[in-house]
Amino acid sequence: MTDRRQALTSPKIGNVPINAIRRKPGRVSAFADGWRRWWPYYVMMAPGILFFLVFHYLPIWETRIAFEQVRIVPPNVWVGLKHFQVLFSSSVFWQVLANTLIISTMKMVFFLPVPIVVALLLNEVRGGSLRKFIQSAIYLPHFLSWVVIAGIFIAALSPTDGAVNNLLGMAGIAPRSFMTDTGAIRWVLVFTEIWRSAGWDSLLYLAAIIAIDQQLYDAAEVDGANRWQKIWHVTLPGIVPTIATLFILNAGMFLNADLNQVINLSNDVVRSKIDIVDTYVYRIGLQTGEYSLATAAGLFKAVLGTMMIVVAHFISKRLTGKGVW
Amino acid sequence: MALSRKTPIERIEYAIIVSTLLLLVVVTVQPILNLLAVSLSAPGKVPGMSGLAILPDGLSFEVWSVLLQHPNVQRGIINSIFITGVSTLIGVVGTALMAWGLSRPNLPGRKALFILVLVTIVFEPGIIPDYFVNKRLGLLDSYWSVILYKAVNAWYLIILIRFFEEIPNELLEAAELDGANPFQIFWHLVLPLAKPALATISLFYLVFHWNEFFRAMIYLNDQGKWPLQVVLRQFVIDGDKVAIVGADSANNNTGAGQLNLRALKAGMILLTIAPILAIYPLILKFFTKGTMSGALKG
Repeated sequence: MTDRRQALTSPKIGNVPINAIRRKPGRVSAFADGWRRWWPYYVMMAPGILFFLVFHYLPIWETRIAFEQVRIVPPNVWVGLKHFQVLFSSSVFWQVLANTLIISTMKMVFFLPVPIVVALLLNEVRGGSLRKFIQSAIYLPHFLSWVVIAGIFIAALSPTDGAVNNLLGMAGIAPRSFMTDTGAIRWVLVFTEIWRSAGWDSLLYLAAIIAIDQQLYDAAEVDGANRWQKIWHVTLPGIVPTIATLFILNAGMFLNADLNQVINLSNDVVRSKIDIVDTYVYRIGLQTGEYSLATAAGLFKAVLGTMMIVVAHFISKRLTGKGVW
Repeated sequence: MALSRKTPIERIEYAIIVSTLLLLVVVTVQPILNLLAVSLSAPGKVPGMSGLAILPDGLSFEVWSVLLQHPNVQRGIINSIFITGVSTLIGVVGTALMAWGLSRPNLPGRKALFILVLVTIVFEPGIIPDYFVNKRLGLLDSYWSVILYKAVNAWYLIILIRFFEEIPNELLEAAELDGANPFQIFWHLVLPLAKPALATISLFYLVFHWNEFFRAMIYLNDQGKWPLQVVLRQFVIDGDKVAIVGADSANNNTGAGQLNLRALKAGMILLTIAPILAIYPLILKFFTKGTMSGALKG
């Protein structure tokens, strides 16, 4: 204790062990030595560590209310798995879980290939400034919030004066109210996801393409390969590891169907189709006040999600050498 | 490369590729230009305007002047700037200090700290426990509940650690031999070397906090504390016209109440993305590098 106080107050500690003379042998002293050299780093890291403990680990401790009955007058009563039983016997919960899985699958099938295609096309563009112009435009939506994107699409999909229905009108197709159409709303989620992220995500593939050895292209050229043959036989194989990594990581985040997107594109008419676990937790928890049930649902999702992401990480690491972290 | 022997077919192929990408550009930019056109059109012309228009019909700045003079919007702008500014500052300082320690390979407890951070990436207990923590700390309805949300972002932390790790060890050891303490090394050596990385992280935080709305929506009851995103949501998504034009004008259809709701919404959306557009050249410069060198997703 005194060692530490002395270490903390001594002005210059970096490489001169002030208490060297009093050094005792054994593990304790090794620890004290380490402390003497490294305490400034811990002082600097303290705010960050404190932040993680308070805002990431206290919430984990708070999840205990999933196992408790919340009382207006504390303390809460331990009820074990009661809330989970209620949750699993609720048809709404299974519906929102199904919705989450359906939306994630749709995004995986219809979203994931788009940035790959965009990257392949971008790589074919020769003029540097033309390519830059295209990139600058298609990266933009990634930096807009879902509130903004929802606002843009509510306008663009309006049945009366939205761009989409104006175009359909030119082709003689009757206007449709996509935002309030239970058959269309999931596709709105997929499309807005593409609009927002396909451009930006193509950057990841483009980075992989640029890393491909130019000699491979030269060799293919000598063999008389045309553009498509080069894409098929050189470029695509070159980015397969990146594709695999991103595919696996996306699979790991399968239960995250993007709360911010859904909450802003949802409305009373279509809610049943796109109500996901996160919006369900928000609604029954913060709007209805069933804290324990909501926490139970959130905890169920978190545990399952953690398992999936850890498995995905190790599969990805094994197959491609790249993981989540 | 091989420009000389381009066959007509290759030229057509190239034209198709470029037009496909340009179509993508149009699909991305047109909806935003349309909002701009609608917000700048003469109020009488707005009702019949096509969603395909990209030029205003007539020219009027009335929508913008109503929006910019509205107390809720003005509060929103101030709140957004305040929240984004303070949280970005806290975020960059906290992240840099923590990343510096974690980037030292021999730091005792380094592995344990890494696990401490990684656990928070893979395990997110959800909004209800988060809400209770904020409630317990007395942060509900306080700016701090929003400012401190993801104050140190685990992903950005990892990006910065990777960057600090690349600083040559000899440089740091030389400084240590010269008698510099870790604080001095950090301040005089590491930070100046890390300027590009710090700029990247600052922009990450800036964009993240400017766009954050969910926490603000659930934690801030007091409308006077709402950032622009929440004001935008109330007005555009919930369609609450009174929120912008005031009950009197909305009910009696006078003053701002006569303005087209569509034009007001368009203006409000653009107002919210204006700062992002203003710093977009910087974003392009730094985000691109940060994303390609750092973690997979920014």
